[in-house]
Amino acid sequence: MMIWDDIFLEVDFWINIVSIALIVIGIYGIVFSQHLLRMVFGLGLLEAGVNILLVKAGYQKEAIAPIVTQASDTMMSNILAATAQMVDPVPQAMVLTAIVIAAGVQALALSLVIRIYKKYGTLDSHVLFLAMERDRHLSLNQKD
Amino acid sequence: MQDSLILLVVLPLLLAFLLPVIARYLGNLSGLTGSLLLLFNILLLANAWNSVGYSPKVILLGGFAAPLGIVFYIDKLNMLFAILTTIIALLLWPCRTHNTDVREYVLWLLLLAGCYGVILSGDLFNIYVFYELLAVASYGLVTLPATGASYIAGFRYLMISALGSAFALLGIALIYSFTGSVNIAHLAQIIPDHLHHIWGYSAALLLIIGFGVKAELFPVNFWVAEVYSHADKRVTALLAGVVSKIAVLIILRFIILLFPWQDIFNFLLLLGIIGVIVGEFAAFYAQDLLRLLAFSSIAQSGLVIIAFACATEAGIMAGIALAIHHLLLKPALFLLASHCDRSINDLAGLAKSSPWASALFVILALSLLGVPPLPGFWAKLLLLQSLMAEQYLLLLVLVLLATIVEAAYLFRLFMLFYQRQEMPEQKRITIQGQELYPVITLSGILLLGLFFLPLFMDSLREIAMQTSNIEAYINTVLGKVQHIGEGNI
Repeated sequence: MMIWDDIFLEVDFWINIVSIALIVIGIYGIVFSQHLLRMVFGLGLLEAGVNILLVKAGYQKEAIAPIVTQASDTMMSNILAATAQMVDPVPQAMVLTAIVIAAGVQALALSLVIRIYKKYGTLDSHVLFLAMERDRHLSLNQKD
Repeated sequence: MQDSLILLVVLPLLLAFLLPVIARYLGNLSGLTGSLLLLFNILLLANAWNSVGYSPKVILLGGFAAPLGIVFYIDKLNMLFAILTTIIALLLWPCRTHNTDVREYVLWLLLLAGCYGVILSGDLFNIYVFYELLAVASYGLVTLPATGASYIAGFRYLMISALGSAFALLGIALIYSFTGSVNIAHLAQIIPDHLHHIWGYSAALLLIIGFGVKAELFPVNFWVAEVYSHADKRVTALLAGVVSKIAVLIILRFIILLFPWQDIFNFLLLLGIIGVIVGEFAAFYAQDLLRLLAFSSIAQSGLVIIAFACATEAGIMAGIALAIHHLLLKPALFLLASHCDRSINDLAGLAKSSPWASALFVILALSLLGVPPLPGFWAKLLLLQSLMAEQYLLLLVLVLLATIVEAAYLFRLFMLFYQRQEMPEQKRITIQGQELYPVITLSGILLLGLFFLPLFMDSLREIAMQTSNIEAYINTVLGKVQHIGEGNI
């Protein structure tokens, strides 16, 4: 039982669980929900989960923030020594980019949801799918 | 010299942000600046084509060396796709329509910047960022007609595409946490041998499915028919012709450089053949011309994927030939079809009212089918040869069967066009001469290519050789820094 206690106390383990749970809930929300807003929320959860996993890729136990603080550290050898105790900054840079992109895409999705609601007065994806097919049918047969 | 190729990405981005200001002073003329920019890009590429020559080049952005810095990788394949993208974009540029909103130009430029970035990047995360740029611009362009149906189609497209991007990002996160790098050349040294286990496979599947959304790969392509039939015709032409081929190009790089495992090839062969069969049958049952073309483009993408998944030089050559052929041909077909956007049975007698347009359509569609001596035949022949060489006989038979289905629906269409019966007066379609101008140019390029076939085949073979040369890719990107960087990576 000692091994299990160790694993449950690891931060690592819980981060993995949380992010995978977020990803699964997000995918479920996008694929199975019938309400457009829930799909957007699902997308948000999915992207949050992916971002956590991405930033975790640079995580080290008991490491410090990747900032060189002292002037003497500008010596090459000192920097190399210091980086050994730092978390990897590259995933942090990447995750910042990914967060910004995700925020933009979600905003765009929400604006589309607003437009769709103004046109059709509903956010039920099944109803809307049928409406789209009907519009297509009408435009094909009523042209000039 | 080749460093100036960075302008391919920089200039469209710059102009995209300047254009709203320019439009205030120039009004409707502002669209011209975009055409000029594309012309300039063509000159830039033509100029660099010779200097790239036989050996690929690399651009170090910001001057940092390869595994840490970001690189643009330039070889003939990338250059070829960049040139074709520019040509198609120039032909489809929405300049001639008078009431074009300046926002449309901006979205086009952003889309193009994304395309160039994806083509040239030699870095996984950069590819992801440019891919997202391209995707976001395409969401905007798809919903441009501002009809309710286009909003719904756009939303569904956005959702599946964002899901795909999240998968791709997850794949990148997996790869980074195992290797600590996102540079493709550096990863090509590590992944094939050291990540040949469950996590490597998961990353491969995530990346392939993620980028497969735009490549119209089988399980994630339901958006194709909806989007292509509701979006603006030029946007449809660009998405079907260029963007899908660029996504296929990324998948090619992945399977050649990062995941050269037989299981991945088999998986792609399976997805490809399912895509071909589903696409052709869906096209067979399609009720209108745009949907028919959309489904046939799913099938064509499937063919390209099959060719690439052979993973031999012959296969890569066949895939590139098929991709180029489709890239030039589908925009022309979509432009023609957008003028007769109605259910198929209403098209009876089209040849009477617009003989030139229907003749062009028939020629292009025959080339799509692969009737000799049209260009499509030679591309398909290459595919069949590479399937023969790899002993994929079942696949060969399936591809031929799919071609028979394709022939069935295309010839049914031709029969309708050339029926004797007149179109009813109020439903008659006449396609004006000037609307055919981009179509004629594209078919001209295709048919002219026929005269230079031996030359073209030779350069294709050369490109395929260069593409499958993993050593050259790694050495070009990492070459000079390898001995310095080895210790601390």
